Amino acid sequence: MKSRRAQLHMSETIAVLFIFFVLVLFGLLFYYKYQQVAVKERQEELLAARAMDTTLKVLFLPELICSKGEAEPEDNCFDLLKLRSVNEIFKDHLEDYYFNIFSYSTITVYQVYPETGDTWVLYSKTKPEFTRVEPTYFIVSLRDEIKSIGEPHYGFGVVKVEVYS
Amino acid sequence: MIPKRGQIELTFNWIYILIAGVVILLFFIGIVVKQKASSEQQLSSDVLRIMESIFTGAGVSEKTKNSIDASSLGEYVFYFQCQEGVGEYGVAGTGNRVQDAIAPLFSPAELPGARLSLWSLPYKLPYKVIDFLFVTSENTKYYLLGEAEFATEFLAETTPDAGVQFRLNVQSITDPELADPGQNFQVRLVDFTNILVQDGLPVPSRLQSLDDTKVTAVAFPSPNHVDYYQKEGMVWKKRTPNPLPIVSLGGLRDAAKYAAIFAGNEEIYTCNMQKAFRRLQYVTEVYTEHKLPELQAYYTILHPDIGDSKPDCPSSCAELPDSAAAIKSLNEQLRLNCLTLY
Repeated sequence: MKSRRAQLHMSETIAVLFIFFVLVLFGLLFYYKYQQVAVKERQEELLAARAMDTTLKVLFLPELICSKGEAEPEDNCFDLLKLRSVNEIFKDHLEDYYFNIFSYSTITVYQVYPETGDTWVLYSKTKPEFTRVEPTYFIVSLRDEIKSIGEPHYGFGVVKVEVYS
Repeated sequence: MIPKRGQIELTFNWIYILIAGVVILLFFIGIVVKQKASSEQQLSSDVLRIMESIFTGAGVSEKTKNSIDASSLGEYVFYFQCQEGVGEYGVAGTGNRVQDAIAPLFSPAELPGARLSLWSLPYKLPYKVIDFLFVTSENTKYYLLGEAEFATEFLAETTPDAGVQFRLNVQSITDPELADPGQNFQVRLVDFTNILVQDGLPVPSRLQSLDDTKVTAVAFPSPNHVDYYQKEGMVWKKRTPNPLPIVSLGGLRDAAKYAAIFAGNEEIYTCNMQKAFRRLQYVTEVYTEHKLPELQAYYTILHPDIGDSKPDCPSSCAELPDSAAAIKSLNEQLRLNCLTLY
């Protein structure tokens, strides 16, 4: 009778321990899953932030902006005389300089008005085996000083900045 | 006999519960400790990420003044350094840091978690090269000595701005002895006279109790040169064997000159200027290799007698201001009737 009671007691203890460890396991599993989701969300957040930062850097690049002598440069405006050939400079100094600014990304400018279909790929460095691309678009004006005599000619364009992760 | 066995069983049960309890407690304490360390690491990493983002925003849009309230991070100290063209900042005591070889960032070597003031100014030589970002804190005190034109401008530029709550702790004094550390984290003397701060001269008496690294000075032996000093015991120790040149065109809001005042030491100044000179090389390529030939080609069609000369590149940084001034003058002449280079 006593041995049976002891056995029962033992089984009870084992059952309690089992349930306890099952609960701990559940807890750990839940925590692991939560962390996995949190890390993924954080990566997405970082990618979006990088996309915004890269776009911001592109919009204010001295290599592209429409300067006006000593006055403040025109906002959100690219000088076509610079834009047409700036990719050569970006390409020549990609590894040693511009990669530090744009990292893994592709920067393209599309002219939308007047509709000439002109597209300029300013910078392109694709990440090997990338898993996600975050595109950001921004409207800019395109200034062409030699298209017409006297006043500079303005058009509209879209800057597309794609960042890779 | 039976009560004895019962007693042993009871004791064993309690010991068993105690050991199991301690093990479980230790397990959770371990988790909490790990979590705490990871949270702190996470917090400093988040802070740096946000700072990086703010610095990017503030750095690219020129002439912006921002104020960030980082007083909740009071226990943290941010460090800033720059070596061989690569800047680095981070939270002291943690492994988290940000390295940047592009954006010139001028700040004291250390800043406490307080209200940070950010200010960006374009660096032009003569065309815009890059934006300089100045970072300082409300509890970094700047004392201006002497009555130079630039001192008046500096004081006017750093006056509290109601709109953006931008505030620099600046005061103009006539006698260095009036410098008082108060509750500030560090003090920087800006000597426009070049006689009040000199190698071996005593540090103002009220600043002598401060740590050596917390008392620094800059002096301008000429409008285009700067010397850095640091407190060493009771006297000033000159850190720059020769005055450093300020490569700029002068005028209002001279970014290079402001940078000299905000840079914690000569290393931060020269290293960040190197970043600007490197960018200057590439921006100049855009103008000389691409924009200028296009303009020349355009005018060759209109005026076939026009030459295709290119500006001579200076061989050293010291010649940069002269070349830049020449380009600026030519650009102003072009403005009258022609398309300008920049």
